[in-house]
Amino acid sequence: MEKPKKPSPVVNPVARPFWDAAWEDQLILQKCTDCDRFIFYPRLFCPHCHSDNLTWERASGKGTVYSYTVVLNNPPSPFLDDVPYVVAIIRLEEGVQMLSNIVGCKPEEVRCDMPVEVIFEQRGGDFKLPMFQPMVK
Amino acid sequence: MNSLKGKAAIVGIGEVPTGRHPDKACISFGMMAARQAIQDAGLKKDEIDFVIPTGVVYNNGVNNDLVTCRFVEELGLKGVKTNELVFAGGASGSCMLKTAASLVNSGVAKCVLCAHMEKLGTGVPTSQGVIDLFSTAGISQEWEVPYGQHYSTIAALATTRYQHETGTSDEALAAVCVSNRKWAELNPNAFFRNPLNIEEVLKSKILSTPLRAKQSNMLFDGGSAFIVTSAERARDLTERPVYVLGESSRVTHFVFSQEPDITRYGWADAAREAFAEAGLTPKDIDVAEIYDSYPIFQLIAFEELGFAERGQGGEVFLRGDTWPGGPKPTTTNGGMLSQGHTGAGGGVALVVEAARQLMGKAGERQVPRARFAVETGTGGTYMDSQVTILGTEIP
Repeated sequence: MEKPKKPSPVVNPVARPFWDAAWEDQLILQKCTDCDRFIFYPRLFCPHCHSDNLTWERASGKGTVYSYTVVLNNPPSPFLDDVPYVVAIIRLEEGVQMLSNIVGCKPEEVRCDMPVEVIFEQRGGDFKLPMFQPMVK
Repeated sequence: MNSLKGKAAIVGIGEVPTGRHPDKACISFGMMAARQAIQDAGLKKDEIDFVIPTGVVYNNGVNNDLVTCRFVEELGLKGVKTNELVFAGGASGSCMLKTAASLVNSGVAKCVLCAHMEKLGTGVPTSQGVIDLFSTAGISQEWEVPYGQHYSTIAALATTRYQHETGTSDEALAAVCVSNRKWAELNPNAFFRNPLNIEEVLKSKILSTPLRAKQSNMLFDGGSAFIVTSAERARDLTERPVYVLGESSRVTHFVFSQEPDITRYGWADAAREAFAEAGLTPKDIDVAEIYDSYPIFQLIAFEELGFAERGQGGEVFLRGDTWPGGPKPTTTNGGMLSQGHTGAGGGVALVVEAARQLMGKAGERQVPRARFAVETGTGGTYMDSQVTILGTEIP
């Protein structure tokens, strides 16, 4: 059986600037200029105050691991060759959370609250995914 | 406040054994459960005037049939005015019940049939196919699927953080599985009925750290149904109507990684409101039908509802307090971990089990003198926290 390709993001057009920036190795976030809050994932309008006044800002790319798991068995088919891989929720300095993978270290070295920073890994021909590695001191 | 308290009651239940039935169409499971529920209620079939099927997960095409009244027609129900789907994933049981109770209370409906059917056990060709189906169902294809998120990782992420914050042991989490199995041993409709101990759970293979295979549910065919009518009508039909006494809930997220506290969710607020409406406290509850699907979610809800202090729930399960004969009977059908997961049906089964215990029809696993029960449900990636309180008397 042919192994299915790793899934690329199914993009909501409002998030297109996020993925375009990621292609350039940049992590950007929406920010509401009315209520002054960062927003992730990208929205049509501010989910906090419903304002249309959103800007895109470059994020620091730094955060901590809120939680993590090392996948060892029974992953979805496209990830069968990837085990072990680490799935983690990252809390970014800007106060938003996102799912990602932790790379650049042994899976067993990942811990809750560990500082991490973003890197980008290509997925297929059209995407780079933000992933995270332990913070380089 | 206009409350549902004591206004509507469950008067009939039906359920087919959870399992693998390749020789039967999906709709058959719902039909068998519905006929049982109608008979159990002592109603004539044509007294059902409102039908609420919930959705199936294994094949969206079946949902089109259910939306377009196939279930009503195949059951031959001639008195139905409205058929509409109420589908909230694992929360569907709680949501069908509150919808049906509201319809009865408003006078829009007199006798509501709520039913579930699912063919996840034999309707998807391979076990990898089931993993793949569930690795996209309810999981964001933009923000999580590309990272290999699936339900094992979701349960594992919650477990990792919960253990980090509370110091709860692997043994305590395994004890939740053991407790559910103790009940399933006494449940003829459960799929997994062999004894299970903590060592066996902790020896099973790791799927995603720290989650092990025997801490993971398996998917099956199944069906269940219940009937809701007004409190007055219920008292004519039975000596033990199962009244809806209180309910509340919170919707917290769609994308799992957007949940601000994956170790709590919305249970505490929902439970506080539901207990207040009922005029009861957790100490009054005789049976706690807590939604599991994975031990971590059952443990979190158990604590957040007030059955144990945070971080202490595992000890309650380890002591066997939640077992048959214990002081806190919990998830008495065995839950999805032992009765088996049937898509939206896991939560419907818990509504049916709560009613069954209160009606005194739970056979070998009957909790003596059960008067008050709490039932919880949650759907998708634990997107909501649904709490319903039921009882045979109105406090």
